[in-house]
Amino acid sequence: MIRVWAWSGGTEGAGPPGGHAATVNGHEHAATRVLVVDDDTSILDTITAILSQEGYGVVGAASGEEALALLRTWHPTLVLLDMRMPVMDGWTVARLMRENGMRVPIVVMTAAENARRWADEIGAEAHLAKPFGLDDLLATVARFGSGRRD
Amino acid sequence: MTATELLSLLTQAIFVAVFVLVLVRTIGQPTPAHLDMTVFFGIAAIIIVESRASRLLGLTPPEWVTDLLIVGLVALPYVLLRLLDHFTRVPTIATRASEAGLAALAVAVVVVPALPGPLLLAVVGYFGIVALYCGGMFVRTARRTQGVTRRRLEAVSLGTILIGVDLVGAGIAGFLPEPDRSIVSAAGQVLGLASAIAFYVGFAPPTVLRRAWQEPELRAFLARAAQLPRLGTTLEIVRELEHGAAGSTGSSARVGLWQSDEGVLRFWNDDGSTSDVRPGQHISGRAFELQRTMLSVDPARDNPAAAEQYRTGHVGAMLVAPITAGEKRLGTLVLTAERPPLFAVSDIELARLIADQAAVILESRALIDHAARVRAQEVATRMKEDFLSAAAHDLKTPLTTVVAQAEFLERRAARDPAAPADVSGLRRIVREAKRLSALVTDLLDAARLEQGRLVGEREPVDLGRLVAETARRLDALCEVDVRGAVVGSYDARRIEQLVQNLLENARKYSPSATPIRVAVWQEDGEARLTVEDEGIGIPAADLQRVFDRFARASNVDDRRFHGMGLGLYICRGIVEEHGGRIWAESAVGAGTTFYVALPLGDGRRLN
Repeated sequence: MIRVWAWSGGTEGAGPPGGHAATVNGHEHAATRVLVVDDDTSILDTITAILSQEGYGVVGAASGEEALALLRTWHPTLVLLDMRMPVMDGWTVARLMRENGMRVPIVVMTAAENARRWADEIGAEAHLAKPFGLDDLLATVARFGSGRRD
Repeated sequence: MTATELLSLLTQAIFVAVFVLVLVRTIGQPTPAHLDMTVFFGIAAIIIVESRASRLLGLTPPEWVTDLLIVGLVALPYVLLRLLDHFTRVPTIATRASEAGLAALAVAVVVVPALPGPLLLAVVGYFGIVALYCGGMFVRTARRTQGVTRRRLEAVSLGTILIGVDLVGAGIAGFLPEPDRSIVSAAGQVLGLASAIAFYVGFAPPTVLRRAWQEPELRAFLARAAQLPRLGTTLEIVRELEHGAAGSTGSSARVGLWQSDEGVLRFWNDDGSTSDVRPGQHISGRAFELQRTMLSVDPARDNPAAAEQYRTGHVGAMLVAPITAGEKRLGTLVLTAERPPLFAVSDIELARLIADQAAVILESRALIDHAARVRAQEVATRMKEDFLSAAAHDLKTPLTTVVAQAEFLERRAARDPAAPADVSGLRRIVREAKRLSALVTDLLDAARLEQGRLVGEREPVDLGRLVAETARRLDALCEVDVRGAVVGSYDARRIEQLVQNLLENARKYSPSATPIRVAVWQEDGEARLTVEDEGIGIPAADLQRVFDRFARASNVDDRRFHGMGLGLYICRGIVEEHGGRIWAESAVGAGTTFYVALPLGDGRRLN
């Protein structure tokens, strides 16, 4: 079962998100679709709520399996990925993404001290060391959220 | 010179040579045994030299000289008996009988002008009986000893028997007609030479022979030595060293180890107790202090303080060798025997060799122990590092929500002061702040537990009701089974924490929909509590360890399950400070049951 925490995007796969998220503060983020993966539901709820209110298209996944399913069906343009998760961890998610040819930029989110090293290990674009401030989160999403990597 | 004469000359030369060797040793170490040995060979040497000298000079010695020499000859077996007494206890009756016989014969020899047949026969008979008795006793004693001492005693017994047969033969030869007399006396020459060689080997063996005799015992000792440092405990090594030293020397052996922190040499008694000796105290302490091998042939005299112990322990001689590796003093090897060793030089050499070997073994052991300590320290350091990183991780996770959500609420309020409150955002902050607070409390509890003051004021509590309420409040899927009132004196807040930790633990490592069963009952005068899950289980090897600080079962993948490893540690602290016990039974993949036993009534009494 796929649980979707926040859904401000439009219909599957294409088109700008409708409704309230189109413009916030004069910024247009609609083209950015962020998949947030974290087994800690508080973090998941907080980030999806923030990004959604900032006008991004956001979906949350509480496990690696949910994340992979959403990657196939929802086609995000950025993945915020927690590393330590039960059953399927961040390393596995990143490996399966690579194996399936999904070239979506990844930002590693972790409370572990070796955030940078883990980001390098899986070939992520950036990392957010928990606890991160709001500005860090929004700046990172703004920087990498605009499109696919080549 | 005929062959018989040559034999005779050789035999006599050996006897005189052994006398000189023994005399030199006696001057260096005048023990009673050495004195008797000197007397024995001295008499033989005087008889030989006198007969040679008178024949060479063509003199006829006065009759009293001849009488004295004959008495000396007759006294030889008696001296042997005295010598024997230094090795083994000779029955008093045997000593008295031989003394009486010797006195009677001496008087007869002096009083009767020439030796008539019957007197000669009596002398020969006396000589034969005493010499053969000594020979037999030497054989028996040899059997009881080992190593060099055994070989030397065997040689001495052979020499004694041969000289007995030789002199009996010589006496009988006088009554025989020719040519039998010549044959017997020629055979006597050969026996005499053989006994001389046997005595030489027994009483003054060359070093090369002593080394060769030591070899098998040392080899056996060394063969075991390589295994010794790996034995489980130092005490086992001490016991093996003692066993090996006793086997190689044929005496009792004790190894005392230097306890540098207490400044004593410690000996382990057979009954499990220990005896401590200060440096300079007793003979072992003196040898240790002076770092010298010490031989005491009269321990009661040399150390009157322990005379009574020596008497009751039948310690008649003591050899102490310091066990020292380079500059490092490790202990002493103490060899004790009922009687002073006759062959002290060999024993001292062997004791030194064994003590040196013991030093090597103990040093190896110390190195192994040191390596183990370093490894344990590394493990402890790694656990601490793991703990710090787990603690940091666990604290950062709720902080992430608190920081990001609070900043976002602030920004929202700044942008639009009229906007309605973001209730779900505020709830998240409150929930995660509480989670943080619980984590900090756990850390503080662990610190408090280190000081043994986790449990506070106790009051009469119905454990069943308390557990049931706590369990139902915390976990809706929990099945609670309380069998009657179970009242004891507990810190209710800590018991609640115990139940909460056990439940959270069960939930954390179980599939989400599986039941957790909690039961409380009374059994064998104790309150019992169990928390049973159908989770991943704990490997048998970890069942004890999971209650240790920072410890987590080896099948817990720390990428999947975060945790500081404090929950069960705190549980154990709560239970033990209440005077109770906690343990777990588990099957990997099937589930785990935690058992708690707490005292009923006033728990303080059982503490």
